[in-house]
Amino acid sequence: MAAPNPSTDPNTNIPEYEYADANSNIFHIGSFRNEWLNRLKPSNYSYEQEDEDTFDANFAAEMGISAETLSDLKSICSPDSLRCHAEDQQPDTEVVPPDSTLRTLEQRKKRQDYRASLKVSKNRHDLYADELERLTVGRKPEAMVDMVPEGEVILTINVYYSVTFENFSTARPHVTLLMTGSHSLAELRDAICCVSDLQVCGEFSHTPDMAPEFISKDLYKSAFFFFEGVFYIDMRYPECQDISMTVIEWAKSHGFPPYSQAKMEDTRFAGLKVKVGFPYLYCHQGDCEHLVIITDVRLTHANDCLDKKLYPLLTHKHRVTTQKCAVCHVYIGRWLTTNDQFAASDPCLFCDKCFRMLHYDAEGNKIGDFMAYPYVDRGAFN
Amino acid sequence: MDFCKKHVKSDCVELLSRFQGSESVRFQVFSKIWREMEFSQIFYGTVNHREQREFCRLILDTAYTFFLPPYSFQIRVGGLYLLHSLYQCQITSPREQIRLALKDWEDVMKLEKDAVNAQHHDAVYILRQLMLHKAFSFTAMPTMLSFKKKRNVKSLELCEEFMERPSRPQELINIELLEELSNIDELYGKLKTSVSSESEPAYSSINLIRKDLVPQLRSTVVDFYKWQQRKSGPDEDGNGDSGEGMSSQQECSRRAQLLASIKSKAYGEATEASKSRRHRQVEVDFTSNVAGPSHSLRYSRTNKLSLKARTCENVHISGDLWKEAGETTRIKCLTTVDFASKVHSGKQNPVKRFKW
Repeated sequence: MAAPNPSTDPNTNIPEYEYADANSNIFHIGSFRNEWLNRLKPSNYSYEQEDEDTFDANFAAEMGISAETLSDLKSICSPDSLRCHAEDQQPDTEVVPPDSTLRTLEQRKKRQDYRASLKVSKNRHDLYADELERLTVGRKPEAMVDMVPEGEVILTINVYYSVTFENFSTARPHVTLLMTGSHSLAELRDAICCVSDLQVCGEFSHTPDMAPEFISKDLYKSAFFFFEGVFYIDMRYPECQDISMTVIEWAKSHGFPPYSQAKMEDTRFAGLKVKVGFPYLYCHQGDCEHLVIITDVRLTHANDCLDKKLYPLLTHKHRVTTQKCAVCHVYIGRWLTTNDQFAASDPCLFCDKCFRMLHYDAEGNKIGDFMAYPYVDRGAFN
Repeated sequence: MDFCKKHVKSDCVELLSRFQGSESVRFQVFSKIWREMEFSQIFYGTVNHREQREFCRLILDTAYTFFLPPYSFQIRVGGLYLLHSLYQCQITSPREQIRLALKDWEDVMKLEKDAVNAQHHDAVYILRQLMLHKAFSFTAMPTMLSFKKKRNVKSLELCEEFMERPSRPQELINIELLEELSNIDELYGKLKTSVSSESEPAYSSINLIRKDLVPQLRSTVVDFYKWQQRKSGPDEDGNGDSGEGMSSQQECSRRAQLLASIKSKAYGEATEASKSRRHRQVEVDFTSNVAGPSHSLRYSRTNKLSLKARTCENVHISGDLWKEAGETTRIKCLTTVDFASKVHSGKQNPVKRFKW
């Protein structure tokens, strides 16, 4: 359905580079999975660890070698043969070994010396780097029903900030999500959090308590993904509109190749034809456009998070600097005021507490003349 | 992590070039070099867990490239050992996996088959052990891709010294050389006859060179190739060369192609003479008495190469030849150095030399 150029090549589902180190050619995710499963033995991708002794016996039988040869082989190939230090002394893996001949280590030493000379030792990315991983790595579900099946595909999806500038490739991904092949695009949409979904439109200086009830996500539910010439639109709710139609019609009238449509909620990743590494589009709230890149497609591994309930799984979140309240400089700004006689600037940001203390009396009545708009910071999800 | 890419690669290359120097595919030899270089230490001293993980990813991806063609069998086995050792020695937990791309699966299976046939038990054992311990992650592409376009693609650089050498005799005595030889022979014969009296063309004192030089040279190369094929058969054991000949399908087919072209061209009719010599050929045409290319159908060929390709080829040939014959065309030779390897060894892609 989504193939603009249906290829006659039988191996079209084996991904190759389209542009080296940039993106792959187009392939069908479900067929890609089957290609792998056809090549592998179930034991290759099973979560169970095969018994070592059985392995040895099979190996000896297959290669036609004696038990003695096998034990020689095992001792030669044992991990101990790679040890670079004496058996009784454990090296300190925290420090860069001095006097190493390896260039990587020479460089690492230099870099570490440089970093030590800096005043700031850790930045916010380092501080929270392990936080997400600690929650999920190697998690097994409590019930077998929630187990991600063996041989399922896992996609790594980068979602970038809504961008209006061209050079997105220098931007950090906003979030990185892991999803399985059985997930639908609608589930991906729900997993993407963007502050523009939380914006509240309107002026609430008279009724500040009412504000949180009108967030954009509930008002404007339409959204679409654009993958390989197909718009996948969200039609789950009656309020949803087909916001891709304008683009399709415009493209038609300007002599572009025809684009088709499909429903987001009916499309599973396994049925999708995509290029790995290629930038696609997610558009919501009318014009909030995010780049979406599928950076990786692979089979599940025993070390992955195997609890279905934890997917879509967040593996990376960019921590943006937040804009603080102009009064206390502690809390994140939640109100933006204009024409405000109390404010130092116009517009001015306030946290909820400072805003109310400054602009309302004890009974909650508005003091003075100003306009107040709810403000959602970009770092609201940090 | 990009900052240390170059250094990681150079460390891997250093390890593998020592391994190459040992002329062995034994894991014992590899682990000895590993210990000598204290390669396990490469994981030590990263700032935090995330950096450790990223570094693991980088070095495994780097090592992975050596595990695949176009590198020689020995380097690929070295690459396998390197992957195994890195996987075993990494200090991240859980371990970072080796990414195996679907398109590379056939190559891995081929390598395994070659190793089994050549009875390299250690290589097979280590590959199977990696499989057993689920060290591989079965992926779509060898690395994560995020459309990072670079102006100068560095990672494409291959280490030339690790690639299997196309056999020197075939490389040296190729079709162009044979053609040139026969042309010179003709010219020389013509010159000699013009010097001596016209009445006795077969005068013995000027017939010093064997007339069948070119075909004989050709058949010697063919014989050598056949011998080489026999020698690198699967039944041979031990010394590290076995399996190499058959390890790379491309190599075999390249040699076969080369030979086929030698055969067909040496006796073939439609030989295009090099541009630099056409002016001479007009005069030697009718006295041609050597079993070389005949020029009667010279203009019958329709699918000519582009002008640029032909120029490169021809200019190079004359340069190569005249380097030995005389001083006159030296400058031409210098200007075509870049094309030399490309034209001669018939490689599809121009290979940049690895820079330290």
